[in-house]
Amino acid sequence: MSRVSGRALAGLALAALLVGCGGPGATTGSAPGSSASTSSSSSSSSSSSAPPAAKQVPAVGRSVPVALRIPAVGVDTPVMKLGLAAGGTVQVPPIQAHDRAGWYENSPTPGQTGPSVILGHVTVGAYGDGVFRHLGQLRRGERIEARLENGTTAVFTVTDVRTVAKANFPTKEVYGNVDRPELRLITCGGERTGDGYRDNVIVFAVLTGSGH
Amino acid sequence: MRRTGFSAMVIAATAVLAGAVPAFAAGTSATPSPAERATSAPSPVPTRTRPAGQEPSAVPTKRPAATDAPTRVPRDQVSVVPSGAPDTGVTAGSDSSNTGTLIGGGAAAAVVVGGGAVFLLRRRQANGE
Repeated sequence: MSRVSGRALAGLALAALLVGCGGPGATTGSAPGSSASTSSSSSSSSSSSAPPAAKQVPAVGRSVPVALRIPAVGVDTPVMKLGLAAGGTVQVPPIQAHDRAGWYENSPTPGQTGPSVILGHVTVGAYGDGVFRHLGQLRRGERIEARLENGTTAVFTVTDVRTVAKANFPTKEVYGNVDRPELRLITCGGERTGDGYRDNVIVFAVLTGSGH
Repeated sequence: MRRTGFSAMVIAATAVLAGAVPAFAAGTSATPSPAERATSAPSPVPTRTRPAGQEPSAVPTKRPAATDAPTRVPRDQVSVVPSGAPDTGVTAGSDSSNTGTLIGGGAAAAVVVGGGAVFLLRRRQANGE
């Protein structure tokens, strides 16, 4: 075999590799790349200084969430209202490009005592990555900010990230009463089954601050 | 008027009954109740010794239970709990699985081709070319 063909092969290999990475990586590289690097330092400091479960802060006034920021995984999204779908399941945000997160309107608003529930897609079909694409990469101690309609920002700290089979969805742990302001972020994860996913990824967080 | 009197009685009876429950619980947990009865100590004992007549003692013992109740058992914080698991991910049916296969296939091909290239280079070097 000649040298030329060898080079061509090597070039081909490189090109194939680039294509392979470009698919899933393209969307992650654009926005989150920069914010992820800055947040990793802040999140590590917050996790070391504040054990999330121990610290308790007073609840904030009731006001509907309008935006959600999770610097560690590059989330910065408007928040819509979600109700119940036919059949009693929770509504999910529409499948569209640049999809949004949604707050379940029968749960407390973020910062009120109780489990405030916010949902978002992991993928939105042909549109690619959903707003909660990287939710599963959140770690304990990382920061979630919910901006409310009245201008307050409720700041939460992640206490747990769980992947659970949809068949065993922990309804009580997600929607059950708690004695402090908490937050639940829900998306899908795990193996793909048909046009959906086998599991849910659930982030548990607790209110650790608020401001304007 | 008669009705008011009757409902007042009902309320009083309920208060006495409700008061008797925590008193009983306290009585079972605090073993030295006979001794305390003699000294007519705080609240749990009086309600036990004279439950019927003395409403004033029944009411105070009930009150702590009443103030506990609103914080302990409020209405559910999530007023309507959805059924099942949220469907928060759509894989674009056949389209996305195709692109998934393409990407996966591309990566696999890259590995194979890359491996082949390395192998060829090695062999060429081994041949002293």
